[in-house]
Amino acid sequence: MTSVATDPVEALRERISEAAHGARPLRIVGRGTWLDAGRTVAARETITTLECTGIVDYVPDDLTLTARAGTTLEEIRSATTRHGQWLALDPFGGAQGSLGATLATNSAGPLAAAFGHPRDLTLGVAFVTGAGVLARGGGRVVKNVAGFDLTRLMIGAWGTLGVITEATMRLHARPDADVTISVPLEDTPDEIERVRRLLRRLPFAPFACEFVNAALAASLVGHAGAATVVRLGGNRESVRAQRAAFTELGTVNEADPALWDSLATIEPPKAMVVRLSRLPSEIARTWRDASSIASGCPGTLLHASAARGVVRCIVPDGDGVAALLRTRLAAMECTRIGERLPPALWDACGSASRDALSVGIRETFDPKRVLNPGIMGELA
Amino acid sequence: MTSAAAPLIDRSLADRLAAIVGERRVLFRPSELLTYTSDGLPSYHKQPALAVFPGTRDEVIAVVRELAERHIPFVPRGAGTGLSGGALADGVVLIGLNRLTRILSVDAENGLAVVEPGVVNVSLSRAVVADGLHYAPDPSSQAACTIGGNVAENAGGPHCLKYGVTTNHIVALTVLLPDGRVVPLGNAAGENEGYDLVGAFVGSEGCFGIALDITVRLSRNPEAVRTLLADFMSLDAAARAVSAIVAAGIVPAALEMIDQATIRAVESSIYAAGYPTDAAAALLIELDGAAAGLEQDVATVESLCKEHGARTVRIARDEAERARLWQGRKKAFGAMGRVAPHLVVQDAVVPRTALPRVLAEIHAIGERHGVRVCNVFHAGDGNLHPNIPYNAADADETRRVHAAMSEIMRACVAAGGTITGEHGVGLDKVGYMDLIFSPDSLATMCALRDVFDPERRSNPGKVVPVHACREWHMAPSARAAV
Repeated sequence: MTSVATDPVEALRERISEAAHGARPLRIVGRGTWLDAGRTVAARETITTLECTGIVDYVPDDLTLTARAGTTLEEIRSATTRHGQWLALDPFGGAQGSLGATLATNSAGPLAAAFGHPRDLTLGVAFVTGAGVLARGGGRVVKNVAGFDLTRLMIGAWGTLGVITEATMRLHARPDADVTISVPLEDTPDEIERVRRLLRRLPFAPFACEFVNAALAASLVGHAGAATVVRLGGNRESVRAQRAAFTELGTVNEADPALWDSLATIEPPKAMVVRLSRLPSEIARTWRDASSIASGCPGTLLHASAARGVVRCIVPDGDGVAALLRTRLAAMECTRIGERLPPALWDACGSASRDALSVGIRETFDPKRVLNPGIMGELA
Repeated sequence: MTSAAAPLIDRSLADRLAAIVGERRVLFRPSELLTYTSDGLPSYHKQPALAVFPGTRDEVIAVVRELAERHIPFVPRGAGTGLSGGALADGVVLIGLNRLTRILSVDAENGLAVVEPGVVNVSLSRAVVADGLHYAPDPSSQAACTIGGNVAENAGGPHCLKYGVTTNHIVALTVLLPDGRVVPLGNAAGENEGYDLVGAFVGSEGCFGIALDITVRLSRNPEAVRTLLADFMSLDAAARAVSAIVAAGIVPAALEMIDQATIRAVESSIYAAGYPTDAAAALLIELDGAAAGLEQDVATVESLCKEHGARTVRIARDEAERARLWQGRKKAFGAMGRVAPHLVVQDAVVPRTALPRVLAEIHAIGERHGVRVCNVFHAGDGNLHPNIPYNAADADETRRVHAAMSEIMRACVAAGGTITGEHGVGLDKVGYMDLIFSPDSLATMCALRDVFDPERRSNPGKVVPVHACREWHMAPSARAAV
């Protein structure tokens, strides 16, 4: 059977419905920018949201925007910038990725420190379940508790509960001032702990604050040694005061705001990327763990959000590197989340989708297991 | 005793539950149950067959397991301050959780606290004030409502405009499923991976089970706070000022609107806050954060209000004046008790830009039905609370009030809004769910509920209309085959 629907969402729904009927698993693809991330998907056919594109509704004064899943973050950026607004999401991989994939993977970058994750910025979603049912959760208004929260459930489910076709996002007005600074620091656990203590004491939260190791600092801010790169936003007086507060750490240098885009796209092809996390108060220990990976794997780039307790490790591929990374990860007592890994390494990270409730939800939303089977590390 | 389950609730069950929690903690005489026949919305009355009040986590688990064995439906209840009839038990067992009031731990360094479900909202903030922290969601009932109830309803409050609603502050939960299983949800000690089960549970209105402990995120107390009161000669002008403030990129901690009817009710009550009684509407605006730069935002807000027709803008000079301005807002519902013996409290959300139009429509609907609508609401996020004081003994007035409310809800939905922003669906709004969700969406919600509670025994009959759940039984396979 072939789809005859002209409405792209209806075409998608029909396609999934047919796949469920014939028990033919589908790999769900947005813009395809992360297809080489190494997650195992037991499917021969693919289904794409590429036909589902475009901004459906944007009322700047409401600070909300509804777009179809295949719309790129870049398109949203360009539409909102004209009105002095933005969708405060900067997932790794850059702005060429689609909104749908960003939500499905709950991908967030450094801005999450101030603006939260996609789950905090999404007001409603439409999706097609694995049974070919088109459903919606949430709505288009900024506050809504009507019905069970299907929106949060879909975000971060990697498409396994439904293919997101449309989403309504909360926007923010751009601040008067948005300034990036860097402070050179030593690459030691003590230094990152110093950053965390300062952040905890400050009466404001920077838009973003990343502690980067020397290898990464070299390409982002072009100086030797580690650094903290900070993005400050607000009115001019507030940003002036924020900037001054960071002099307590060391010398404050102006930095090129383009470094945030560079950070989002810095990983070399075939790099392995994994995030380690614990409570923020244990950031020194988590940084030490990450540094143990870096010391065995040349060229490893590390950056951490001290406020959130998360260290991201970008490990270039090389001889024996994957095996070493596997050993190091397996020995660590912290939350390990893979972003991009060779298939053999995924089980060295935790998998949180095998509990009875998650399995039950999966069976309910995708009874024939046709949506991205295997992608969450579950037994395919 | 209207429920089919009622015959199962007999003396043997009461005895068994008494053996778990103690005889004094099991109520089954109608006179003892009177308190539990309504919640904060007095227009609904439902009589539980029995109420049980466990005092410890283990007692809660034992009670729920006993009910599971007997397949008896139950309704979890916190302080009973909810405004949607969500905590009413119709001929089934009511489980009161208000005795579980321990704050189990506070981790000030990481801004986390673990609490039992019966902890009163404001007492958590009081307990961490010395650490410079507070729990941000602040429903108007915060002096009485419990965090367990807040989790069930995904409660909001005035300061949620800047700080987010309950779901944005819940990190992890230990949940007791209706079948008696205890499961941990979320990860407090690192990033969360997998399905967002915490997000699914928060706001499930007691239909997914009972939260035994709740890990919340605490927020830092702001370095500085400024509270402004701007009064306007028309609702429209006030609504436009709201849009202008938000569009300017300023996110106030709170941005509340109080209309003339409400101002007059407040000013003639013991909660008089000094609001100008001749104004058509007032905005209560709070800005907080770092001291540096705050005055600049205050000046911007003040000039935006004036640009949009504010007659005066008053800035609270000290904490006492600020508290007084807030008291008028937070006690507005109480003040309406002077106007008439009963009050319908409504909760709907519209896009901010639709506020002027919808407020005019609400006014017209009130006129048409001969009822007085008092608006006091979270204007910054378009979350309306149209309230109608009335006398329930007057059957004609009651009928007109309900007709007006139904029209108001429909007007909000037609404007692109939703039927509840923070009070929940409960019993009160279950009839409106069809207005905003398709049968497929409702059936999907039912199916999600069935994963947590396949027997549908936890808070039966709430949130999703029963007919929508029946449909799911032919789906998804039958549906896909059609």
